[in-house]
Amino acid sequence: MNVARKEWPAALCALPATEVKHLANVLSGELEVRDVALPHAGLGLLNLRDGAFEESYFIGEIPVARAEVIVRTAGGLEERGGALIVDDRAQFARSIAILDAVMAGKLPGSVPAMALVQRGMEVRQQKQIERKKLLTATRVDFSLLGQEDDEDEE
Amino acid sequence: MSYVAIKGGKAAIDGAAAATDYLRCKGSLDEPLTLAMIEEQLRLLTSRVVSEGGLYHPRLAALALKQFQGDTLEAAFALRAYRSTKPRLLETPVQDTANMRCIRRISSAFKEVPGGQYLGATYDYALRLLQLDLANEDPAAFKAVAQSFLQDTPDSEVPDNFPKVIDALRAEGLLPPVTPSRAAAFDITRDPLVFPVPRSAALATMARSETGGLLAMAYSNMRGYGDVHPTVAELRVGYLPVMLPHPVTGELMEAGEVLVTECEVVAMYEGTNGDELPTFTLGYGACFGHNEVKAISMAILDRALQKGMQDGPTNPSEDPEFVLLHVDGVDSMGFASHYKMPHYVTFQSDMDRLRTTQQKMQQQDTEATA
Repeated sequence: MNVARKEWPAALCALPATEVKHLANVLSGELEVRDVALPHAGLGLLNLRDGAFEESYFIGEIPVARAEVIVRTAGGLEERGGALIVDDRAQFARSIAILDAVMAGKLPGSVPAMALVQRGMEVRQQKQIERKKLLTATRVDFSLLGQEDDEDEE
Repeated sequence: MSYVAIKGGKAAIDGAAAATDYLRCKGSLDEPLTLAMIEEQLRLLTSRVVSEGGLYHPRLAALALKQFQGDTLEAAFALRAYRSTKPRLLETPVQDTANMRCIRRISSAFKEVPGGQYLGATYDYALRLLQLDLANEDPAAFKAVAQSFLQDTPDSEVPDNFPKVIDALRAEGLLPPVTPSRAAAFDITRDPLVFPVPRSAALATMARSETGGLLAMAYSNMRGYGDVHPTVAELRVGYLPVMLPHPVTGELMEAGEVLVTECEVVAMYEGTNGDELPTFTLGYGACFGHNEVKAISMAILDRALQKGMQDGPTNPSEDPEFVLLHVDGVDSMGFASHYKMPHYVTFQSDMDRLRTTQQKMQQQDTEATA
């Protein structure tokens, strides 16, 4: 299954950070990783469109972490990777950025990195299934008393 | 009146901190509360703190609740203090709540809505009777609750997203048309409220307001100091994907998600001066976390404030200055709490003036009777 690049960060964020960091550390030992900018963490102001008049407003702030790296192989292949995630761990963002570069450039390590993404997608899918069960179990159709389609009459 | 500095009391203040922590730890429990326990089992409490703190960080909200022993005002204060130490990295692109992954979605305005209504997790129809078996809950039974719910509930084809209920009303011409606004949203964390303020400032202020304060203002309108008479067109709770540009490609990608409660109310219709047909009026509310009372209260007040801004306020809940300057929990708690600090210099002054006044009056009485 091909997973689009824009799906990778959310998939990797769904996994324990230790797993993502571990693979990034292993790959960092085999590849040259250069930070385009130092990984950093801070806040983002969340801009929402109001549902009544479609005006934008700020509902509050969210933690954000950002990293951008260039990964280079011994053979001279080079790829740029980045991560911008709703999280406050800059090093976690850097790990994702490394995997992003590795997968985007199909550099050595892209296979295990993509396997992590696949697993993250499965975790996300499972979470969504569980959330949908909250809806499935509570679908409601309020009928007036005495109406034929009153489900409680069945 | 001016403030004066005080000194001394360091040992007592240190002792107060130790005493507070003693009370947190002295209970019969062997284990301290974990943050996951607070975040998951007291999820609605955590929700209050993330929204009133104005920072969506449930884990830190749980930590703040633990540290301040369940005091939501202090916990929100701590979250605000934390955020003030962090750099602002970005403003997100405008996010569309139609993308919300709902875990609850209802409308009181219609029997059926496109996509269906789902009660989700709610106490709305529960009896408010104490569930005494929770007092000594068996850990195995506790774990089995979640497992059996997932096992017993079939998978179904529920859509990922739902259309907005008010879109159908708008398509039918029953709501005012949307006029795209290019105005930048007001940032209440950087700019003070100087009245009149744009609606985006009102929405942002109410989104991080204290739940009880906001409810009290909205309740005054509901009871009669106002005439919004709302009908909930839609109330939804769900996870909103946060879309941010990829640092390399610039393409929007899902960077994370936040739990949000959102409510749109349809209020009394109003006529127009021109040839346009009358339409219902609207109010909107939303906040971080799962907090329905807050979102509904905000939606009612949004409508009340629109009316007040347009026609001039006739009730307190229609007065932007009255509402927006009195609903913030950290502000109001801070003011109330400051009265506990030493005020003896100003109070000595008050006593001196009172004694002098009394003496003068007694002297006048004496002279009058002499």
